[in-house]
Amino acid sequence: MSAVIEKPAARKHVIDERSFTHAAGLATGPVSVEPYRSPAFFELERERVFKRAWLCIGRVEQLPQINSYFTKDIEIWKASVLVTRDKHDRIRAFHNVCSHRGNLVVNQTCGVAERLVCRYHNWQYRNDGELIGVPDQKHFFDLDKKTCGLTPISCDVWEGFIFLNHQSKPEVSLAEFLGPFGTRYAGVPYFNLDETIVIQADFKANWKLIADAFAEPYHVPSLHPATLAPGFAHPEENRYARPLSAMAHGIHRHFSAYGNPDYLPAPTSKVEALVYVQDTGGVLSGDASDNAAALTAHPAINPTKDPCWSADVTWIFPNFNIDYSTGGFWTHEFWPVAHDRTHWTLKIYIPKTMSIRHRLQLEHYACRWAEVVLEDVTNCERIQRGLESGAKDTMILQDAEMLIRHSLHVLDKWVKADRVADALR
Amino acid sequence: MTVASPSLPPGFEELEAFVPYWVLDSNDQRRAARSTAAMDDIQRFYDAIVARAEQAIVHCEQFKLGQMPPASERLFKLLLAMNHAAIAVEMHGAPRAHESAWPSAVRITQGPWPHGGRI
Repeated sequence: MSAVIEKPAARKHVIDERSFTHAAGLATGPVSVEPYRSPAFFELERERVFKRAWLCIGRVEQLPQINSYFTKDIEIWKASVLVTRDKHDRIRAFHNVCSHRGNLVVNQTCGVAERLVCRYHNWQYRNDGELIGVPDQKHFFDLDKKTCGLTPISCDVWEGFIFLNHQSKPEVSLAEFLGPFGTRYAGVPYFNLDETIVIQADFKANWKLIADAFAEPYHVPSLHPATLAPGFAHPEENRYARPLSAMAHGIHRHFSAYGNPDYLPAPTSKVEALVYVQDTGGVLSGDASDNAAALTAHPAINPTKDPCWSADVTWIFPNFNIDYSTGGFWTHEFWPVAHDRTHWTLKIYIPKTMSIRHRLQLEHYACRWAEVVLEDVTNCERIQRGLESGAKDTMILQDAEMLIRHSLHVLDKWVKADRVADALR
Repeated sequence: MTVASPSLPPGFEELEAFVPYWVLDSNDQRRAARSTAAMDDIQRFYDAIVARAEQAIVHCEQFKLGQMPPASERLFKLLLAMNHAAIAVEMHGAPRAHESAWPSAVRITQGPWPHGGRI
């Protein structure tokens, strides 16, 4: 028996030096920045990408009961959409536009109603889109109510996420659109669906700049030195936060983020230490539980099963992220408004508040996130100015930035392809 | 001359001076308060609330969430604001992220229940 208590040897993190870019079959040269600054390219994106791709606009929990509805502005379509759960429990989507004279029918963001009334002249619709009431109908001329319902929008659900397609008859189904991503990520558990922290930003930059910010961890040590770097990089073992894996899945993609296993709040960080007393997950995590075990066991999550894992970032083409960690999941919607304007919504799914200490932890979590968002938004506005100056025609991407390269490659295909089937190849 | 009646539970008198600025109803308001405050003022609040945080938490734990008497709820809101002060003191050493724009394009439009707020 030894009198010396041997400390187990510290886990040494092994960085995967194989090229993610080569493995994805991508080239390695500089890429054009025109897609970030050209109004003409933006119009192509509107018509050929956003009006042909399936776009995620929310989750089924936003329609908790029969007759629940919500509305959402999709500025890139110049449209207001109405999403309902009808009496047959079907989730339906419509243009939120009255057949009479084109007014918006519903002006609330969400609610519960079987009948929806346009307040201009009280035309009444059922939540399955049928026109059911027209005041003073006899003074209209040959009005056939059956042909005057709300204009439907193609709608489908994958793993609880609601997707819409602007094409009246989508060229490809949602399953075809999601392709290998949809099968690979099927069955991932979604938990902490009780409550949501929502952080939003309207800012002056191209939508891809913020999407790109979440596609690579290379910037974490430099742009987020205090908010993220201590948990997502390591001064010796992973100084530049190199991803554990980064892969293309058809037109979609993911990377797995490193987590510093030695991370502890600094002794001077009294509040962080106080509120993270229950925390067993990463910096941006909440709790460890059976849910977390089921998540990490799923083959799509942290596919190399690296022990120094913190989170997976998945980017569903064109503008949606689902990110997974042991503490739960969060989503990003990057909505283009103009070539140099973006509306970004971050939804962080959290457990219902259980105690005073838990509530303090959630406050710290929310304000840390808001600070990260502030750092990224400020940064994107600076990049936009840099690109608009015309000083540079290309940008240079390293291997950890593979997802950005893949995004531009897929975008280029969609903009050029006359048929969606060709854009999916 | 009338003396303002204390707004916090007995025993927390030394935090009274921070009530007008730091007791706020939503996550986003607390963030804005910290982001626009002077660093000295944030540090003063931080030092005072951290020194009493454990006792304040124990006090608030007597009540159910969302059902506190007004004085205790104010104390709880000071604890919530403590997290925001911590972002400045423990992370940035400045009221908000370095070289960040303010007024900010960022809003917490929905915070955790209770006292998270919705915009």
